[in-house]
Parts: sequence; structure tokens; C-alpha cells
Amino acid sequence: MITVERLTKRFADIQTGGFTALDGVTFDVQPGEIFGLLGPNGAGKTTCLRILSTVLRPTAGTAFVAGYDVATHPSEVRARIGFMSNNTGIYDRMTAWEMVEYFGRLYGIPEEALQDRIAHLFDRLQMNNIRDVLGSKMSTGMKQKVSIARTIVHDPPVLIFDEPTSGLDVLVARNVVDEIRSLREQGKCIIYSTHIMREVEKLCHRIAIIYRGQILAIGSIEELSDRYKQPDMEELFFQLIDEHEAELRATVSC
Amino acid sequence: MDFGKKIVLQMWFNMSWRNVKLIFLREVLDQLRDRRTLFMVAVLPLLLYPLMGIGMFQMTAIFSEQPRTVVILGAENLPDLALVQGDKFSRTWFRISTEVDKLRVYSDAPIPSDTPHDETAVATRSKLLASAEQMRDLISRRVQIETDLEKAREEKRSVQEVLRLESALQSLNEPLGKAFHDSDIQVLIVVPPDFRQNLERLRTELAQRGSAASSEVKFDYPRPVVVQNSADEKSVIAHNRVVEVINSWERALLRNYLRDSGLPEHLPTPVNPTAIDLAAADQVSANVWSKLFPSLLVIMALTGAFYPAVDLGAGEKERGTMETLLICPATRTEIVLGKFLTVMLFSASTALLNLSSLGFTGKYMASLASNGGVSSKFGDLALPPVTSLMWVIVMLIPLASLFSALCLAFATFARSSKEGQYYLTPLLMVTMGLTVFCSSPAIDIEPFYSVIPVMGPALLLKGLLKSTGPATDLYLYAIPVLLTSIGYSLMALWWAIDQFGREEVLFREAERFDIRMWFKHLLRDKEPTPSFAEAGFCFLMIILLQFLSMKSMQGAMQGAMQGVAADDRGLLQIRLLLIQQIALIATPALMMGVMLTTSLRKTFALRWPGFSRLGCALLLPFALHPLTIELAVSLQWFFPKPPPGLAEALKLMSSDSQPLWLVIMAFAAAPAICEEIAFRGFILSGFSRSGKVGLAVALSSLAFGIIHMIPQQVFNAALLGVVLGMMCVRSRSLIPGIAFHFVYNTLAILHGRMGDRVLDDGIWAWLFRHQDGMLRYQPALLCLAALAAIGLLHRLTRHPEFVPGSEPAPKPAGEPGVLLGNNRTAVRVT
Repeated sequence: MITVERLTKRFADIQTGGFTALDGVTFDVQPGEIFGLLGPNGAGKTTCLRILSTVLRPTAGTAFVAGYDVATHPSEVRARIGFMSNNTGIYDRMTAWEMVEYFGRLYGIPEEALQDRIAHLFDRLQMNNIRDVLGSKMSTGMKQKVSIARTIVHDPPVLIFDEPTSGLDVLVARNVVDEIRSLREQGKCIIYSTHIMREVEKLCHRIAIIYRGQILAIGSIEELSDRYKQPDMEELFFQLIDEHEAELRATVSC
Repeated sequence: MDFGKKIVLQMWFNMSWRNVKLIFLREVLDQLRDRRTLFMVAVLPLLLYPLMGIGMFQMTAIFSEQPRTVVILGAENLPDLALVQGDKFSRTWFRISTEVDKLRVYSDAPIPSDTPHDETAVATRSKLLASAEQMRDLISRRVQIETDLEKAREEKRSVQEVLRLESALQSLNEPLGKAFHDSDIQVLIVVPPDFRQNLERLRTELAQRGSAASSEVKFDYPRPVVVQNSADEKSVIAHNRVVEVINSWERALLRNYLRDSGLPEHLPTPVNPTAIDLAAADQVSANVWSKLFPSLLVIMALTGAFYPAVDLGAGEKERGTMETLLICPATRTEIVLGKFLTVMLFSASTALLNLSSLGFTGKYMASLASNGGVSSKFGDLALPPVTSLMWVIVMLIPLASLFSALCLAFATFARSSKEGQYYLTPLLMVTMGLTVFCSSPAIDIEPFYSVIPVMGPALLLKGLLKSTGPATDLYLYAIPVLLTSIGYSLMALWWAIDQFGREEVLFREAERFDIRMWFKHLLRDKEPTPSFAEAGFCFLMIILLQFLSMKSMQGAMQGAMQGVAADDRGLLQIRLLLIQQIALIATPALMMGVMLTTSLRKTFALRWPGFSRLGCALLLPFALHPLTIELAVSLQWFFPKPPPGLAEALKLMSSDSQPLWLVIMAFAAAPAICEEIAFRGFILSGFSRSGKVGLAVALSSLAFGIIHMIPQQVFNAALLGVVLGMMCVRSRSLIPGIAFHFVYNTLAILHGRMGDRVLDDGIWAWLFRHQDGMLRYQPALLCLAALAAIGLLHRLTRHPEFVPGSEPAPKPAGEPGVLLGNNRTAVRVT
């Protein structure tokens, strides 16, 4: 469902002159699978997911989502994905219902089906009490629920979550994680980025550890702990990063 | 249906108008739920004008309650015809009788015993009179010196004497001015002691004139003195009123004298013409509206667009909903269009609400004023007729759309609402400048103005509102005004859409701006060719230098011209022109090239173009020059006349007496090299970095046009700029452009010089004809020139042949690598 090959993204930057956010990243994700992108802040996770959601254009490499090239068919890709991050805010001057309805309409869902779908979502996510609350009056948890409803209103086959739990309290974060798990059970193809190890262990089938725009390791959790002889994911993470840093220093010095 | 139409229609239908409508409706709802926007758009205009009206009424009330102080010394010396009654001037002498209360008179005449005694009034009076008394001596001395001075000048006495009197006058002025300022008196009248007797004598002498010769009537008696301070507004107003009173009082005195001497009272006014004012009431009000409405419409269309645009662009980024919107299936064009329509709706409604609020308030105020017995200058200020109001709406559409698109582009560029707000000031300043220019009474719509953004609609509207009948000549202007305005709006909209398509604009992080870092970045991260912004900066530098040098050039010219013969003057001007070309056009571009780029060869396209291209570039001017002359002549009606001084200077410089080689150096060689280095070199290669060759050529030609200052030359230069730009882009060399530029300018010089020399017979008659005092080419020659021009242009602008081993062909536009164009980073990371 998602195929990424040698994806590279460079930004111009005043302070350093230029910055490679993503450097030849390759991976793929299957339906019914949660693929975890694990890395510290600034590793290139958000850039990668923004390219997958067609908001950014790749500098080099290709990415296919649900069979469409993100560079050439952005509209088709956008119609088939649900994207949620802590950057995707909700409108202050719209109620929960209006917000989900608006995006449902933009996705071109027929009006009658849309109303049923929203009613269903509001039941499932227990949002009926905030139906007519304006975005500006909502708590973070409520906003996050609206965001989830907005992400899945058109029932997309591919879901992209970019650190969906960052900045949330434990209760809300748990709800979000549960919701994502239930989406996986519906057979969705899910890509999930985070820097929280426990979420990865709980959710993901396969993970990629990404650092400075490069994938350091990729595979299922078992595969990785076998390969690197390290059962603890957190330890493995630090170990890989240290190795990479040492490698970099070696290349610079010689 | 032809192919082009098909593409446009396909684009039209590919766009989901459903999405545009959805976004539009949401944005409108969102704005309507925003208190600030509602306040700006609806509440403010509805309250502002009535409140301003109330304020004005109150201000006038406050002002009218403040009478000014007039002190009369020697009041008992006034003749019997009463000038003053009690503490006021007599009501009879005022044209508007209510003004009598605006002056309060304190005179040294004894107060009648029946006046009620008021302690404070008495104190004020004695204080004022005391300070007036102190000035009396100074005043009489000043009057004396002034009479002496006049006499001395008349009799042509020695300079020393005149100077002595003048300095005496000066030394008196200072204490007198200080005393007057400290006295709280606005006007002081000093009546000389024997004034009454002198007037009485005059009267009797006049009455007895029948028996005596008129020469015996003596007029040289001391006159009253009226003192004011014209630097003090209050004093000026009081003085004007006092003068009016004294004048009408004087006329009445004169009438009495005439009557007493048996002469007709109308003797002094034998002409007294009858005044007829043809202005109908509706014309008066039309004039008022034509001054107010266009400027207000422009300013309000801008303000009405600005705040919603900032909220929809930068605000959306700031609140983090931009990304939410970008990942929905709507395309960026659809998003921008939806937002654009919203902004336009608010811009138009703000403007209309403001106009109607102003209109109704104005009308109401005018009717209040006329009911109050005050004769109003504006009559009843009838609202403009329906047709004029229709025109207001018609003109509002292009204005609102232009401002909406511009504001949206700016707002999208801004990182935050705060940054967005900063862009309002420059936008408002430019617009205000244009509207101030338009509201000047001397400016009416002309062909040239009709194609200038903002000015065209504003001037046309002004004309339409002013004319009360049908204005057929103005309707004709509606076509160019509307067409160009729509064109400008589309350009601005395209820019806004382009802004929305740029990820570096959409995801600009709020980075710390550090001027040192930025300089480092400029000098460290140099690339082969300049960036778009650097090219724009280079152009601004050139314009600014030209502007700054104007004054010093003028000074240098005038200074150097003192005592220089006319021929040498031309020479001098030519020299200055040469310096200007080299110092102000070529040098900035070259310096920036050296400092900001790594490859001078690429930046300035220093590459051998091949003999065939060079040959074509040398031939093309011969074909284009006749055509541009015809074009210039046929467009003469369109452009405003150049200032006369300029034509004079040009004539001087191109006069036959100058050596031809020098003129060619200054007008052909120097511009060919300097202007090409700047405009086709640095600026064009910078603009080309946008990845859009057409845009780069258009912008560089526009820049090239603008430095030519005079509208007609701007137009010509911009057109040639397109040819030069295409030449440079296609040959990837500056040399054909320099060759073309040199030959073209030389031809222009020769054309100007030969004007009178070409004979109307023989071979010349085959080529040229004289018309309207200008040398023109024969039509047959023009046709040939057109054909040749097409052929040569085709040859010059076709794509270069690919030669193995040469530079690679330019990458197609829109490729990501070109957009970011930073290939150095790859080296740094690996």
C-alpha cells in the first residue's frame, strides 16, 4: 500500500546553508500492518510523512501510496489517506460536528452517507457531548478526538499518524493508541511515527529507526532484537545512534 | 473549438467548483463568527461616520463659543456712524449677522452708566487696556519710521539712511511682537487723536467741493492702525473679520459723504457685475462625491481585504490548521480561490458599507446644516444617481479582486499574523499615494492613466461621479480600465496561487533572524548565479542610486554650466551621462556579481554566441527600428506629454554640433554594455532562478523599462527588453544583446540627427518620408522590415543546438532540483 524508495528531501537553510532532512529512505508498509517510524526530534520523520501526504515534494526518490505516485498524482493520494499530526489543528470557530462535516464534504462523500458516517463516528469516539462545542472551547483531549474523526471520516485505506500522542496526557494518549489499534484490526495500512518506545512496542509490527534522515535499522521488533542482540528497544535505539555517530566522526576525521 | 480554448476549458472543468464553494462558505462563516472581522467590516463603518459627524458638530459648537478679543484705543476719536455698540461691533457691518458674537470689543471709551457692574469683566477690560496702552507708543513710533522709510525710498536718499531706518524698524518689531503675544489681544486698533475732526473736515470739504477745486480736499491725515499677528491662526481669523467690518463701515461712511455732497451713492461701484452661478444643486453634490468616493472606495477595498486575508493566510498557518487543509483532496488552486472569493466578498462589503454610511451621514449633516439657517456650501447634498452608484459597484469589482489577491499573497507569505500586519503599511502607503494623486483636481482620466492599476478605476469613477449627464467619452475608458484591472487581478491571483504552491512559503519556520548570520549565509552559500531576491535587490539598488544621483547630477550640471557655452553644455551632459551609466548601472550589478555569485561567466552569460547569432543580432535592429518608430508615433496619443525641459536637454545632447563619436559613446556604447550587464546579466540570471523563463524575461524587461522614467520610453524599453531577454536566454550569451543594443541606439541617434538632412527626392524618397515634422519610413520599407524582423527573431530565439561537451541544456521548469537549486548540500553531508 505504501512503497517508499530512496526518498530524499533537502531544504535551503540560512544558518547552515542547506540541510538534508531525508537521505535515501526506503521502506514499504502492507495493509493490516502498523509500521513505526522511530527517531528523535529532527530525524526526518515529519518530513517523510509530509511527503507521503503530498504536502511536500520529494527532492529525489519515489513514494507510492495506494498505488499512486505522490509526486504526480497528489489529489488521488490525498483522497486515499487520513493524516493526523500535532500540527493538524482544528478550526477555532467551528463546532466538532461542522468540522468533521466540512472535511467529509471536501472528500466528496454523498450528503446522506456523510451524516450517517459522522453520527457513527461520534458514537464510537464518544463525542456526542461535544457535538456543538466550538474548537476554541475544547480541551486537548476533545480536540484530539475531533482530529481522529476528521482523519477517518472518509474511511481511507491508508492512515498516517505523525506523533499523534505528543503533548497529550496519559489518558488521552491511551485513547488515541487504542483507536489506532482498532483501525489496524479493520485492515488499514498504518504508518506511525513517534519517539516513545513503549508505544512502538505496544502497536507496531515493524519499525524503522531513523536518525539524521537515514534509516539505521528496519524490521520487526523480534528481528531487530535478534539481529543486534538487544532485547530492550530503548537500549537498541541508543546503541544504533551511538554507532552511527561514531561512523560519522570516522568519515569526517579521515 | 481550437486547441488553446480546450486547455483553458479543461482547466476550468478539472477544478472542482464544489470544493471552491465549500471552502468559500466555510471561510465566510468563519469570518462572520470572528468578532474582530465583523467589527472592522460592518460595525466600524456604520458607527464611524455618524460619530465623526457628531464630533464635527461639537467641534464647530466649541469653536463658535470662543469670541476673539479686539481692543480699540482712541475709540472716542471715531466718527458718529457707530462702529461699535457696547462690547461688540455693530451688527450692521457683518455680512453674516451671527458672526457678531465671534468678536469681543474692549474700547477705552467710557462705559455707559446703565451697564450692569461685573467685577471680572472690569478687571479683564482694565488689564487689556493697560497692555494695549503699553504698545501704543511702540506702534506710533513704528508707523512713523515706516512713513519715513517710504519717503526715503521715494526720494532715493542714501543707502545708509535707508538701512538705518530699516534696522530701527527691526529693533522695534521684537518688543512689539512680544508685547502683543503676551497681551491676549487678537487684534488691536489704534485710532489717532484727530481722526474724527479730520473726517469731519473731509466731509465738509467734499460737500463744498462745488465752490472749491477738488485738489483742495486733503487726504494726508493720520489713519487708524490695525495690528495683528499673521503667524497666529486666531489673530488671523479675528483680523479677517475686523477688516470685513471696517470695510463695510467705511463704505457706509463714504455713502454718507457722497449723499451730503449731492453725489449718487453708487458712484464708487460703477462696474459691480452681476454674478451667475450655473452649478445646479446636483452638480455641487456630484462634485463633493467625486472627490470623496473614489479615494474612500480604494482605501476601504484595501483595508476590507487586508484583515480577512491575514486571518485566512498567516492566521491559518499560526493556528496550525493550514496543514489540515492542505492534506484534504482540494487542490491548492481550489483552496486559494475559495479563500480569494471570501476576501473579495469582505473587501467589497467593507467598501460599500463605508460609502453608504458616508453618503447617508453626509446627506443628513448637510440637511441639518441647512435647517439650522447656516447656508451650506453643498446645498442639500443629494446622493449620486443610480447610474453613478452602479458604476461604483462596477469599479469596485476589479479593485476588490486586485487587493484581495495581493493581500492573500502577502498573507500567505507571512509566517504569522503579526508579520502579516507589517505588510499593510507599505501596501497602504503606495495605495494612498496613488489615491492622493488621483484626487488632485488637475488630474483627469487619460489613456495612459487608464491602464495603471488602482489609478484607472479611481480616475474613471471620479469622472463618472462628477458628470451629471451621460458621459459617453468616459464610457469608452471603461473598456481599457476593466480589462487591465482584470488582468492585474489575475496576475495577483496567480501570484497568490504560486505562493500557496511553495513549500518553503507554507512551512517557513520562525527562525531567529540575525543580520550577521544572514551576511555570512550570503557570502558563504554562494551559487553560480544570483538568487531571485538578489536580482530584485540589484534592481532596487539601481533605481535608488538613480534617484539619489538625480539631485547631485542636477547640481553638478547647473554648477558646471555657469558661464559655459551652449555647445560645451551638451558635452558636459554627455560626460555626466557616461559616468552615470558606468557608476550607477554597471557597477552595482558587477559588484553584486563578484560578491554574491561563484560564476561570473554564468551570471553574466559570458559565452561566445557563434557568428550566425551575432550576425543576426547586428542585423535585427535595422528591421526593428523602423517598426518601433511607427509604433511610437501611433501610440503618441496614449502617453502623457514628456516635460519640456527634458526634450530641451535631449536636443542639446543630440545637437549636430556634438562630435558624433562622443554621442555614440554616451548613447549607444555605454548603455549597450552597462545596461546589458545589469539587466540581461545579473537581473535576468537571478530572475531565471524562479524556473520560469517567461516570467524572468518579463520581469527583467519591466525593470529595464522602469529605469527609463518617462512613460513612453518605459514602454519602448520594456518591449525591447523582451527581445533582448529572449536573445540572452536562448543564446545563453550576453554578447548578441550588447550588439543589438549598440546598433539599435546608434540607429536612433542617426535617425534623430538625420531628421532634417534627408532630402525628399532621389533614393531617399524611396526609403523615407517626412510627416508631422518627423522622419518616417515608407510603408513598403516597413513591410520588408517586419518580415525581416520576424525571420531574424525566429532565428535568434530558437533553442540552441545541443553541442556535446558544452553546458547541458537548462532543466525543465518545475523540477524540484531547480526550485531549490542547492547542490552544495549533498557534498556537505556525505
